Amino acid sequence: MTLRRAHFLGLLAASSLTGCARIGTALTENETFHKVLDAPERLNLALLGAGQPLAYEYPDSAISPDFRHNGFDPPSDPQFTQWSRNGWHGYRLFVSGLVDNPTSFSVEDLRTKFTPLTQTTRHDCVEGWSVIGKWRGVRLRDVVAAAAPKSDAKFVVFRCLDDDGTGTKYYESLDMRQAAHPQALLAYDLNGELVPLKNGAPVRLRVPTQLGYKSAKHVGKIELVAALGGENGKGGYWEDQGYEWFAGI
Amino acid sequence: MTERVYRHPLVVRITHWLVALAILVLTMSGLQIFMAHPALYASDASHFHSPVFSIFSDVDASGQAVGKVQIGRAVFTTTGLFGWTSDGMGGQGPRAFPAWATIPAYRDLADGRRWHIFFAWILGLCALAYAVWAFKLFPTKADVSELPEALKEHALPWKVKATADYNPLQKTSYFAVVFLLVPLAIVSGLALSPSFDAWAPWVPALLGGRQFARIWHFAAMFGILGFFVAHFMMVALTGFWNNLRSMISGWFVEERS
Repeated sequence: MTLRRAHFLGLLAASSLTGCARIGTALTENETFHKVLDAPERLNLALLGAGQPLAYEYPDSAISPDFRHNGFDPPSDPQFTQWSRNGWHGYRLFVSGLVDNPTSFSVEDLRTKFTPLTQTTRHDCVEGWSVIGKWRGVRLRDVVAAAAPKSDAKFVVFRCLDDDGTGTKYYESLDMRQAAHPQALLAYDLNGELVPLKNGAPVRLRVPTQLGYKSAKHVGKIELVAALGGENGKGGYWEDQGYEWFAGI
Repeated sequence: MTERVYRHPLVVRITHWLVALAILVLTMSGLQIFMAHPALYASDASHFHSPVFSIFSDVDASGQAVGKVQIGRAVFTTTGLFGWTSDGMGGQGPRAFPAWATIPAYRDLADGRRWHIFFAWILGLCALAYAVWAFKLFPTKADVSELPEALKEHALPWKVKATADYNPLQKTSYFAVVFLLVPLAIVSGLALSPSFDAWAPWVPALLGGRQFARIWHFAAMFGILGFFVAHFMMVALTGFWNNLRSMISGWFVEERS
């Protein structure tokens, strides 16, 4: 093969890739095609999201030295700052919406009124990295049950105290089945200490069977709703940016 | 004397082209996904201080932005191609891969994932449809014994004569792709899914952990792309149009002596 021919083939390959990238970009921006791209999510949910398999639990020796954080800065409003300085006195986790018994809990209530659970599980970020941490908290399903959900409650929405810097608050959601997973945790301790600010203090959700963005930090309110949509958007801050609601992959 | 031979049944022709498209899209959207955290770790969780491979941007002594690729202890400057490269918006920026190599061209993890998972299904379903037919690719004893001869023949690839039947080297390489590389790509990809890992924690464990599975996933990609280069070369050198036609209409013209 002559040098000129090799050069030609190289150019051909580069320009065809450029073409593919352009076509791919144009198709991504096409609304109808995007719906086609979104289609497998339901299949993934039906297959991988079925049942309640348990995420692998690690020995303490596997705990990552630093539990990396990602996403928004912790809330910095005066009230949150005051709670944080006073050992979270004053903070309450509200449970409301389609429930018979709207209620709220302090961190101390969560520690004393429910059976605690410790899990050392892997946290997989949508970006691709993983860290392992030892979380202690209470089962989400116990806290939801304490509020006595009505039969038409189908989703659990987590309203968070942190925002993206423009005022849009973080939020997430699970369906009732996912919320009943035995490892779905409302965590107040990480690696034997209070959950650090960067990791979602004072209470964060842990859903070890899905990607990290489902595990909402700084949870302020748990709301039971009949459906997503409206103020519950596509079911989460990142879902509204195009990420899958079922983050099992 | 020539003879027309019906070489590829419909299922092979359809899955062949779908898989070709899937591999292209999976590679380009996979690079898009990798840009979100362009580092590999030979472990289950990430050891952020000791990746075995990473791509990053840096600033050199003169204050110029540069792109770097780190493999083990070696660091290479790759400005313009990896680490600091075209951003798809007319300029250059801190990106692991150039815009022309990713789908979408600009940074977009959410849509990169949508493309990747959609075409992962296409690849998986084609692999299933093809696998049944492909059992004839299992190398026989005769194939194995003829393999050295075939390898010698392929040392001068432009002298290889294409026949309607696969020669032992063809069979072995197709077999490796269909039964080793593509399954490795699928399994190592599934091992990255936290829901899948809850179902089958032994799969990531077998691969050395979730982060190690990313290494396997890339190894499978390199293997498949390597096959593509060799495959394309052999198709071009042994009668491009005849080979191409046989994968479109099914019919292959064979020279008989």
